[in-house]
Amino acid sequence: MHEDDHLDLELHRKLSEGNRGAFEELYRRYSGAAYGLALRVTGQDSLAQEVVHDAFLALWRAPEAYDPARGPFRTFFLSLVHHRAVDTVRREERLRKRTERVANLEPRLGEDVAEEVVDGAYLAVRRKEVLEALETLPPDQRRAIEMAYFDGYTQARIAEKLGIPVGTVKTRTLAAMRKLRRVLDREDRR
Amino acid sequence: MSPDHDRIEELLAGYVLLGLTGEDAEEADRLLSVHVPSCAICRESLSGFQTVAGELGLVTAPVAPPDLLLPRIWRELEQPAEFKHAAGRWRRGVSFVAVAASVAALVGLAGLTFSLGNRVSKAEAQRGTLLEAVSAMRQSGTNPIPLQSQGPPSGGLAEISAPSIRHMYIFGQDVAPPAPGHAYQLWLGSNGRLAAVGEMFAPEDGMVVLEITSFDPSPYDTILISEEVAGSTPSAPSSSVRWSASLVPAA
Repeated sequence: MHEDDHLDLELHRKLSEGNRGAFEELYRRYSGAAYGLALRVTGQDSLAQEVVHDAFLALWRAPEAYDPARGPFRTFFLSLVHHRAVDTVRREERLRKRTERVANLEPRLGEDVAEEVVDGAYLAVRRKEVLEALETLPPDQRRAIEMAYFDGYTQARIAEKLGIPVGTVKTRTLAAMRKLRRVLDREDRR
Repeated sequence: MSPDHDRIEELLAGYVLLGLTGEDAEEADRLLSVHVPSCAICRESLSGFQTVAGELGLVTAPVAPPDLLLPRIWRELEQPAEFKHAAGRWRRGVSFVAVAASVAALVGLAGLTFSLGNRVSKAEAQRGTLLEAVSAMRQSGTNPIPLQSQGPPSGGLAEISAPSIRHMYIFGQDVAPPAPGHAYQLWLGSNGRLAAVGEMFAPEDGMVVLEITSFDPSPYDTILISEEVAGSTPSAPSSSVRWSASLVPAA
C-alpha cells in the first residue's frame, strides 16, 4: 500500500472519531477529483456541487461505510461520487439534454488539466497510470467504458447509441474491465 | 450445476459501471445476494472491478469546487435543515433522498459493504434505506409512528424519525398508486397549521421508501399525506387525506 493510502486510512480513522480537521484534509485531498468527476458525469455545475456536497455529507455521517479491507479510500470515495453522479444525472433526466458541456468535460486522455487542484503527488501519478491503462484498450472497448462511466449510459443505451447488439457491449465491457484490472493491478504493485 | 463464471463476471463488470438494466440487473441482484458472497472467485472479481471503477474516477481532470462548498457542507452538518416548503425543492429532495438511499446499503451491510455498495437497482436502494431505518430505530430517542389510513384500507405507512441523525424515514407496503393525474402530497403541521412539503414519488410495486435527510422533526406535531392533482401547489390539503399521524410522542 502506498504511503498516501496509509495517510488516507489514518485520516479516515480520525474522521470516524469526529475529527473535523481530518474531514477537511480529506476534503482538500479529494474535492478536486470528486468535483471534476461529478462535473464530467452530470454536465452541470449545480448538479456537480450537489453530488460532491452529498458525498462528503455521507462520508461525515457514515464513515463506517468505508471498509479499509476492501481497498484504498480513494476508490471507495470516488465510487461513491460516481454512483451519486450517475444516479443524479439519470434522475434529472438530462442524459439526452446535455448538448452543451463546460469546457473541461470531454475526456482528455494524455492531457494534464488543472492538476494544481490535486495537491497529492500520488494522485497525479495514479491518474497518469489510469489514463495510460485506458489508452492500452482498443478504441471500441474504451468507448464502451467511457460511455458507461462518464456518460452514465446503461449497456442497453450504449448499444442503441452505437447501433450494436447489447451482447457486444457486454463483451467489450468485460474485456476492457479485465484488462484495466490487470494493468492497474500491475502498476499498483510496482 | 457449476456456475458460469464468465457470465457472472460479465454481469459484475456491467454492475460496477452501473450499466445493468432489466433482467441483467435482476440476475446480478440475485447473484450478489446468493452466489457472490460465498464464491471466492466472484468476490475477487467484484473487488477487482470495483477498484477499477474507483480508479476511473481519477481520469477526469480535477477541478477545484467553489470555495463556498466546504462552508456549506459544515453549515449543513451543524444546523438543522430548513423546512422545505416548495414543491420543487421537495422534488429535488426526493432525488437526493433516492441517491442517499442507494448508498445506505453501504451502511447497513457491514462486512459486505463495499462489495454491495454500488448496486443501483431500486430493490437494493429500498433495502438499503430500510436497513438504515432499522439501524436508526436502535438509537435512543427514535420515534416510529404508524400513519393511520384515513379512508378505505390502502396499505400501511410508517414514519420514523431519529433525532441524533436528523433523518426521517417514511416507508410503506401495499400502497395503492394515486388516481391518474394525481400524486401523493406530504404535509407537516405545527399548531394546526399545515405546510406542503411536496409531492412524493408514486409507489412502485406498492412500496414507498423515503429517507428525508437533514431534517429535524421536532418543530412539527403532525404528518399527513393527501392525494392532490399532480403538479399542483395546494395551500391546504384537499379532502383526500389518505394517511396522517401525530408526531407528538404519547405521554
